[in-house]
Amino acid sequence: MACTRAFSRLATRRTAVRPAVFFSRGFASVNDVHAREPISKVAEKIVPAPATSTIPESKTSTIKEPEPTKDARNKTFHIYRWSPDEPSSKPRMQSYTLDLNKTGPMMLDALIRIKNEIDPTLTFRRSCREGICGSCAMNIDGVNTLACLCRIPTETAKESRIYPLPHMYIVKDLVPDMTLFYKQYRSVKPYLQRDTPAPDGREYRQSKEDRKKLDGLYECILCACCSTSCPSYWWNQEEYLGPAVLLQSYRWIADSRDERRAERQDALNNSMSLYRCHTILNCSRTCPKGLNPALAIAEIKKGMAFA
Amino acid sequence: MASQRIFQLGLRRVAAPGLRVQPAGRMVQRRLAATEHVSQPHGTEILAKQRLRRPVSPHLTIYRPQITWYASALNRVCGIMLSGPLYLFGFAYLAAPTLGWHLETQSMIAAVAAWPLVAKVALKAYFAFPFFFHCLNGFRHLSWDVGVGFKNQTVIRTGWTMIAMTVAGSLYYTFIG
Amino acid sequence: MASIMRPGLLRQACQTPAASQRMLSTMAGSAINRPIAQQLRPAFARSAIPKSTRIAAFHATQRNQILPPLPQTIVGTANDPVPVPNPSPSHGNYHWTFERIVAAGLIPVTIAPFAAGSLNPVTDSILCALLIIHSHIGFEACIIDYFPKKRVPRVHKASLWALRAGTVALGLALYSFETNDVGITEAITRLWHA
Repeated sequence: MACTRAFSRLATRRTAVRPAVFFSRGFASVNDVHAREPISKVAEKIVPAPATSTIPESKTSTIKEPEPTKDARNKTFHIYRWSPDEPSSKPRMQSYTLDLNKTGPMMLDALIRIKNEIDPTLTFRRSCREGICGSCAMNIDGVNTLACLCRIPTETAKESRIYPLPHMYIVKDLVPDMTLFYKQYRSVKPYLQRDTPAPDGREYRQSKEDRKKLDGLYECILCACCSTSCPSYWWNQEEYLGPAVLLQSYRWIADSRDERRAERQDALNNSMSLYRCHTILNCSRTCPKGLNPALAIAEIKKGMAFA
Repeated sequence: MASQRIFQLGLRRVAAPGLRVQPAGRMVQRRLAATEHVSQPHGTEILAKQRLRRPVSPHLTIYRPQITWYASALNRVCGIMLSGPLYLFGFAYLAAPTLGWHLETQSMIAAVAAWPLVAKVALKAYFAFPFFFHCLNGFRHLSWDVGVGFKNQTVIRTGWTMIAMTVAGSLYYTFIG
Repeated sequence: MASIMRPGLLRQACQTPAASQRMLSTMAGSAINRPIAQQLRPAFARSAIPKSTRIAAFHATQRNQILPPLPQTIVGTANDPVPVPNPSPSHGNYHWTFERIVAAGLIPVTIAPFAAGSLNPVTDSILCALLIIHSHIGFEACIIDYFPKKRVPRVHKASLWALRAGTVALGLALYSFETNDVGITEAITRLWHA
């Protein structure tokens, strides 16, 4: 069954691409390298490389409030859409008009209302609706934040624009692929590492002052708002760890109970992992939890400066 | 009726066990989005193929202009605007004896002195603005490197102060100094 | 062909488009250019897609991006950490500390000419040396950032070597300028007032 479905999917793709193949081979000659290849392979080549340009909202339609009322406070939301089922199509900006009187106060409420009442194909992540899970991180009006913590600006004349987290590979609509981010998080070994047992044999204690060093670090919910706001992370995602992961790394470097401080620092001691941070400070500016990843990174650098 | 159908189904299964799926699909209402068990390697293969087709979300063009990253980008641009000519001058100075150019201070001063005023002011402005921006922003960067001034409000305030000082300093040195 | 492989689709095609709720499934959209798929789309989705994308557009002009991101590839499973590079302090903390010392050292020799008019040959050559190092590190950072080794290994290497050659040439040039001419601060001061 699975193979039938996969096969039928392949078949539909073939039919879909056939006209393009036909035209592109209008002047096919013997040295046309595509000519003798199986048709599906040609299709693979014709599908463009991941496109970053987006069809602006002026060229797409607007989906209106389903039941307009008289004293409606209509506000327009432009939302980034891309579906993996149409992989060759460009991402586009879709406009939705909502009556703010019928919508909750937060951006997430607007998104949920669109999904419930207007367009069920809109896809986004959400879970806790109170800023503790970090699922609904997205770029709202140009700034990365959690949709559940972001109020809808009440002036209806101003249109809101919602994008997924910047410079991430998009799974669908507002859902970015976070695999690399989590793999990077894993690489800093975010857990207590020590060899000596606790003196009293029960728990690893620390002084109040040492505990205080972890404030502003342990609250991070790994929503990736900061990492994806960092231009350095945009350009060198594969090698630079990004603010969120470095903050987490510092959370363990600063922990008095951890005994692998030197190893942790060594892991960052190269050209790419840590030192692609150029103190741009977008991370601290955007953090929806009010943390300061840039300060944490500066502390790591300071700690390693004369080591 | 039902028994007949079961009998028919059984017959078909016996006849062609490999084609079991299709006849069942004709008879029974089937959801198109049925969940299927896919083996682990096959699943990762599908995922890898899907990944190749994913677009990258917009970044530079949609992020809100903020003093943080605009100042940082400008800092780099200004550095290049200052160091680029320095490198070019170096190359020209090395090549000058063979090419017969005169890049000694005296002849350069004489050349610049002959320029119209607008060109002189433009040249001064070209170097004054990046110089003051890069230097003053350098102070901010050095203070961040020792871990001072990371609060959002402080960053914004020092940023705009730096820009005001840049404008004042470079205007002074372009026209008066 | 698709309809042969997928009897469900054929059956739907014969029915009215009203019975197309299940086309919300992820199976639906794999064939955007086919008119039958358009008919089967729910009303909102049909209105959501502009005409221009329904019909394959003919692009006369092509806009090439500068260094577009590569298609996504993930090495290893989601549960494997990214590989941790070997520590190399000369590119890591030593480099960073050196860079900061140079930058901090530039402050007095940059301010001094403004206070004193120009510098004596020793401080002037110190300024030159620091400027060369600072510029080199700055350009190097640009190359590492914008021509990443993983993305464009050859361009990365070539531009780094070009930068090194350029820096050496600049060093030679400034050395001869310092020894044969009036010195960089004095030259700039005079040029400024020319």
